[in-house]
Amino acid sequence: MSTITRTVRNLWKVGIRDYFHQMNYIGDTKAGTLIGTDRFGNKYFEDLDELPLRTRWVDYKVHDFDAAQIEPGWHAWMSYAVDKAPSQDPALAYKRRAWEDTDYKTIPNYTQTRGAYKPYNTVKPKHTAWEPVAAPRQ
Amino acid sequence: MLASSRRAASLALRAKPATHLLPLRSVAAFSTSNNQNAAAVTAHGSTGLVNKERREVPLPSQGGHQGRHSICAVRINPFKTTLDQVANWARQSSLWPMTFGLACCAVEMMHLSTPRYDQDRLGIIFRASPRQSDVMIVAGTLTNKMAPALRQVYDQMPEPRWVVSMGSCANGGGYYHYSYSVVRGCDRVVPVDVYVPGCPPTSEALMYGIFQLQRKMRQTKITRMWYRK
Repeated sequence: MSTITRTVRNLWKVGIRDYFHQMNYIGDTKAGTLIGTDRFGNKYFEDLDELPLRTRWVDYKVHDFDAAQIEPGWHAWMSYAVDKAPSQDPALAYKRRAWEDTDYKTIPNYTQTRGAYKPYNTVKPKHTAWEPVAAPRQ
Repeated sequence: MLASSRRAASLALRAKPATHLLPLRSVAAFSTSNNQNAAAVTAHGSTGLVNKERREVPLPSQGGHQGRHSICAVRINPFKTTLDQVANWARQSSLWPMTFGLACCAVEMMHLSTPRYDQDRLGIIFRASPRQSDVMIVAGTLTNKMAPALRQVYDQMPEPRWVVSMGSCANGGGYYHYSYSVVRGCDRVVPVDVYVPGCPPTSEALMYGIFQLQRKMRQTKITRMWYRK
């Protein structure tokens, strides 16, 4: 529910710079409290005065944003699966496992990049196209 | 030792007719080593692999986002825009889909328009007429009987137009792949931009597919390419 008074009120709260930033990325003007930042620099906000299911949002770090860049614990929080954010809940927060030698990275969506999946076949084709062969005229 | 054996092997091979060399060479071209000569590799026997320098080549998925970030490195500011960015911004924020609900996927597509997922906030309004729509969401099984109608509706859409193939039936026939009456994927009839997998995909999956389509629109650079030419 976007009214002019709401937009002006939120603009007053977030400032003119964040206003343009939000209009470029979210397409809405929202003001909330910063709940936390994940390892990749995405910022997570919450404002309980918004309509249900619009109370939590993310401000992505990179311009070419994608939902796959959200950390798993924060994804649960964003999807309203948990009440407490990973910054408040140590069980949900990221920690490196004993068997991991590097920090876990989320797998980005490789669509439209060189890393995109291309199917290929390694076995003999199961059917062959018919190639007409004309018998030479007698 | 390597050079001398290679020379010996090449001398030995030169005595033979060149037709014997060609298949060997084609095999050697596949390997990543510097040896052009297949015989030189085999001359070392078991120690042939020791001298080979290990070359680390990044996988395509590890090579960063080439071709994507080079374009998108320019952030969209209201004061620093190209014509493309303005056009792309306008396009991606008002997608009007032509609903082509064919089967159960259409129910999930309807859920996208209901308040929980609320496509209206993304500027998505379902249109009943193909002449007013930008995107066609093919939701469901495309039968042979429906295929001419789908193509006709696609032809009636104005440029620029995009197609989202939703669900496994529209992607590649899915459950009905071996049926006599079903088109094995709507990409046999229309060019598809985004494939949304699932049977049926959830509304969230469809929305993610729409986000991917918006991402594709953001990378469109028609006027820039025209200017470069």
